[in-house]
Amino acid sequence: MDFLADFLLRLLAQFQSPTLGFLIGGMLLVACGSKLTIPDAIYKFIVFMLLMKIGLKGGMEIRDANLAEMFLPAVITIVIGVVIVLLGILFFSFISSIKKEDGYATAGLFGAVSASTFAAAMVLLEEEAIAYEAWVPALYPFMDIPALVLAIVLANVYMKKQQQGNTTEVNVWGIIKESLQGSALSALILGLALGLFTTPDKVFGSFYEPLFRGFLSILMLIMGMEAYARIHELKRVAQWYAVYAFFAPIIHGLLAFGLGTLAHYWVGFSPGGVVLLAVMAASSSDISGPPTLRSGIPSANPSAYIGASTSVGTPVAIAVCIPLFIVMAQTIFEV
Amino acid sequence: MTLHVAEKVVIITEKIIAKGVCQIIDGCGATGYTIVPAGGKGSRNMRSTTERASVVDDFANIKIEIIVNDYAMAEAIMDQVKDKYFNNYSGITYLEDIKILRPEKFS
Repeated sequence: MDFLADFLLRLLAQFQSPTLGFLIGGMLLVACGSKLTIPDAIYKFIVFMLLMKIGLKGGMEIRDANLAEMFLPAVITIVIGVVIVLLGILFFSFISSIKKEDGYATAGLFGAVSASTFAAAMVLLEEEAIAYEAWVPALYPFMDIPALVLAIVLANVYMKKQQQGNTTEVNVWGIIKESLQGSALSALILGLALGLFTTPDKVFGSFYEPLFRGFLSILMLIMGMEAYARIHELKRVAQWYAVYAFFAPIIHGLLAFGLGTLAHYWVGFSPGGVVLLAVMAASSSDISGPPTLRSGIPSANPSAYIGASTSVGTPVAIAVCIPLFIVMAQTIFEV
Repeated sequence: MTLHVAEKVVIITEKIIAKGVCQIIDGCGATGYTIVPAGGKGSRNMRSTTERASVVDDFANIKIEIIVNDYAMAEAIMDQVKDKYFNNYSGITYLEDIKILRPEKFS
């Protein structure tokens, strides 16, 4: 019983963190009809800043890291991305009222990763002083790209069967290229390269690192506002999306937490790394995934998958999954 | 001043397919086009024009105007865009009779 009480107390403390506060604050603002707007340009700049910071830090760390210890977590990351998409497609295949393509697209989006969600997880881990390898965020593309490619390829195979070969060939390299060219991944990869091949320690320490938390709080506010503003879109599609979007992040995260724990005992993957991996699995893409899916599966209804992800999936991943996984890590690994 | 009769094709659609639509326009032989951001209300959804941060920017709408002085070319552009995109993407297209100066610019 002590274990459970301790668990609940720690969970409650997590809800008082400023990161979650800003998210809920953003939702409340829109709910009250506030006229506050944060310009789009600022949103884009913040996303760039956060991913650059994450990339630089990761790159600087990979310089001294042992590549062998990254191998197993990277393989696990790919496996999780693939399993999430297959689970999603399986779930939606049981619900006959949902158009197949919409199911494929939603599963793909939930397999893909949200940069803002894992940036929030990084800040919360630092607040709790739980260590993680700085290269863990660099695993992002290993989950993101396989999930998007798999969902789009399967959807096109399905559509081809329906129309007896009327659709065009799926261009797998095209999807990978589009993902890599997306704003989030380009910034992350550039940051990684700069961290690896140059010595950005000064600009990192004096600019990117100190601004990270402040910018993240604004980003959380924007995410909250967007989540509430998009709820009306979700109301127009089947309720099953909301059900999926609520439970999927928790189930995906727990699955990744389990696999990450195995990696912890086998190759000494850090507890913070396990949490970040779980958060990556729990998150659903908000920046790069939707446009890629829109062009890859054009017949799927974007209101369905974006509504599910932005207004339910992401808030659940940030407000429920991150605190839950941190507390699980604290209890299981005793950090 | 002498004005010449010409045709203006207007296409209001999603920003994400702008590149493909422009390829069709070029392929049909038009000499140019104008693209402006668009917003409003249609059968699929409300599209805002505000400066508010939008997490998925590529779903913004645009209005493309193409001036041609060949009616067949105008029809070809409208037809091809409709066949290629309007089953899956939201969009409308219409034709206006207009008068232009300097017709040599459009042929």
